[in-house]
Amino acid sequence: MSLLEIKDLSIEFPAGENTVKAVSHVSFEIREGETFGIIGESGSGKSVIGLALLRLLPANAKVSGTVFFQGQDLLSLKPSELRKIRGKKISLMPQNPAGALNPVLKNGLQMEDVFEGNRAEKKEGMKKALKLMKQLFLRNPEKLCTLYPHQLSGGMRQRLTACISLSFEPEILIADEPTKGLDPEAKAGAVDIFNKIKTEYEKTMLLITHDLDLALEVCDQIAVMYAGEIVELDLASKVLSTPLHPYTKGLIRAQPRNGLVPLSGQSPSRIKLPEGCFFHERCRYSGFECSRKHPEIKNYKGGLIRCHFLSLK
Amino acid sequence: MKYFLKRAGFMAFTVFAVCALTFFLMNVIPGGTAELILKHTLVGLEESATEEQLSQISSRYNLDDPLYLQFFRWVKEAVLRGDIGTSYIYKKPVLYLLALRLPATVQLAGASMALAIVVGVSLGIYSALRENRISDHILRIVTLFGVSMPGFWVALILILIFSLKLKLVPVSGYGNLENLLLPAAALSFHSVAAVMRVTRTSMLETLGQEYIRFAKAKGLPVWKIISRHALKNAMLPVITVIGFQMGSLLGGAVVIEKIFAWPGIGSLLVDSISARDLPVVQGCVLAIVTMFLLVHFLVDMLYTHLDPRIRYG
Repeated sequence: MSLLEIKDLSIEFPAGENTVKAVSHVSFEIREGETFGIIGESGSGKSVIGLALLRLLPANAKVSGTVFFQGQDLLSLKPSELRKIRGKKISLMPQNPAGALNPVLKNGLQMEDVFEGNRAEKKEGMKKALKLMKQLFLRNPEKLCTLYPHQLSGGMRQRLTACISLSFEPEILIADEPTKGLDPEAKAGAVDIFNKIKTEYEKTMLLITHDLDLALEVCDQIAVMYAGEIVELDLASKVLSTPLHPYTKGLIRAQPRNGLVPLSGQSPSRIKLPEGCFFHERCRYSGFECSRKHPEIKNYKGGLIRCHFLSLK
Repeated sequence: MKYFLKRAGFMAFTVFAVCALTFFLMNVIPGGTAELILKHTLVGLEESATEEQLSQISSRYNLDDPLYLQFFRWVKEAVLRGDIGTSYIYKKPVLYLLALRLPATVQLAGASMALAIVVGVSLGIYSALRENRISDHILRIVTLFGVSMPGFWVALILILIFSLKLKLVPVSGYGNLENLLLPAAALSFHSVAAVMRVTRTSMLETLGQEYIRFAKAKGLPVWKIISRHALKNAMLPVITVIGFQMGSLLGGAVVIEKIFAWPGIGSLLVDSISARDLPVVQGCVLAIVTMFLLVHFLVDMLYTHLDPRIRYG
């Protein structure tokens, strides 16, 4: 059963007289208990989707489409109703732990933010949070709460923000590039954390990342995004081991252990998208049709793919 | 502790330097001091001043001694006996005159400061929250006038409107709250505008930070995001500006007090300068510099309180 259903989500930002099309007509579903990954290069629109789900984008963003969660459309909910979902039912694990922690407030207080209501409820919540912190490999959490964020190491901050996002036991966790800017050791730690969240807490997750190793390790399904569109969507193992779309193939070849072959060219301007397939200018298989007609997303071998040739079958 | 000692030493040096500068500059102004003293004591008999009287006064106040000797004597008396001289005109100790006048100045500067902080900060926050809407634009235009118009001119306009046309408050005087209104408004107008502008800018910058978005994602209501997460961060540049405004308030008070016949050290200073009453000028400058330095010391202490990352040592 799908817990989160995203239909026809488009996001645009006004930029002077033009509009930047960050995301166009994205649809996917996340089933309960599964980890859904969105991968793609920087600027493909993946982070914007994560923020749009909780309506955290700047006020000038134009968002259309529907996001159904437990029978409610998150995009048309009243702000007071939305607050009850933010952090409680759907929580966000921010992209940059150092920036997401307020430098002038103690860690404990920032953790407490999630728990509203009276003193007793707060205390109860904090107790659970402390336990969670211990499980997420943070030693001596009581002392940690009396410190300020700048007194923690990068890895500790990462785990602390993970705790804050998980402490209310949300039904869905949106993790926005959780391994961005971490050193290899902390990255390995992050993989452990996500495996733990997945196996022990059985959380439903939306993992937004460009770290293909992390994606392969924890995701059940993966959507590959290019220029604001989903170009391929299938089981994680299938997408990452036998990619179909030329763009996905390129992404995998660009991995250091696959030879670090960069994708040639740049992703297209989002103010004026190219005619035909958005990827055709960089695609080595590009044919006549590709520069004329924009391909629709089609079912193919159990997954979805957006390519005229279904990538040469 | 070491920091405090260093800081105190630095403040003492600043006070000394300012006193020395005042002393020598006052003596550079053309016109015989003894003559001016005579003119101010013998009202109506100015013409009959004789050489004999002049030399009598000169010798009484040691005005014929070399300047460095005069200054050295003043410093010695001030440091050893806490005596900063006797007024040439009023024939009273300078400390007594200051004690008489200081409360009025503290009252005026304090009221203006309070106005600048309360009105400036709250309007600044309001303006930031309504960024680029009509009310924000209006406030910004008004503050542009505020920072551009000199205080004495504002004072005259305020008198014209509120005292002479509307007859709401007295033109001048001292003692009642209604006497305080116009001088405080005139004096603080510039500071209110300056504080508001910096609050707006700083607030907007803070509201764009990632931890604000994370606070939203935690499901906090807007007022809590502002009061708990934004305000403390946004206040750092604001209190810096408030500290500097204190200087301009004390400086502005000199002129404003004169306009409103406010019996503070500002008007005392202006009178003493024209009478070449050196000890009083020296005393007023000493008082103003000390107040300014103390406020700045307070501001620096507030920094560490607001931002735990700042440490002095």
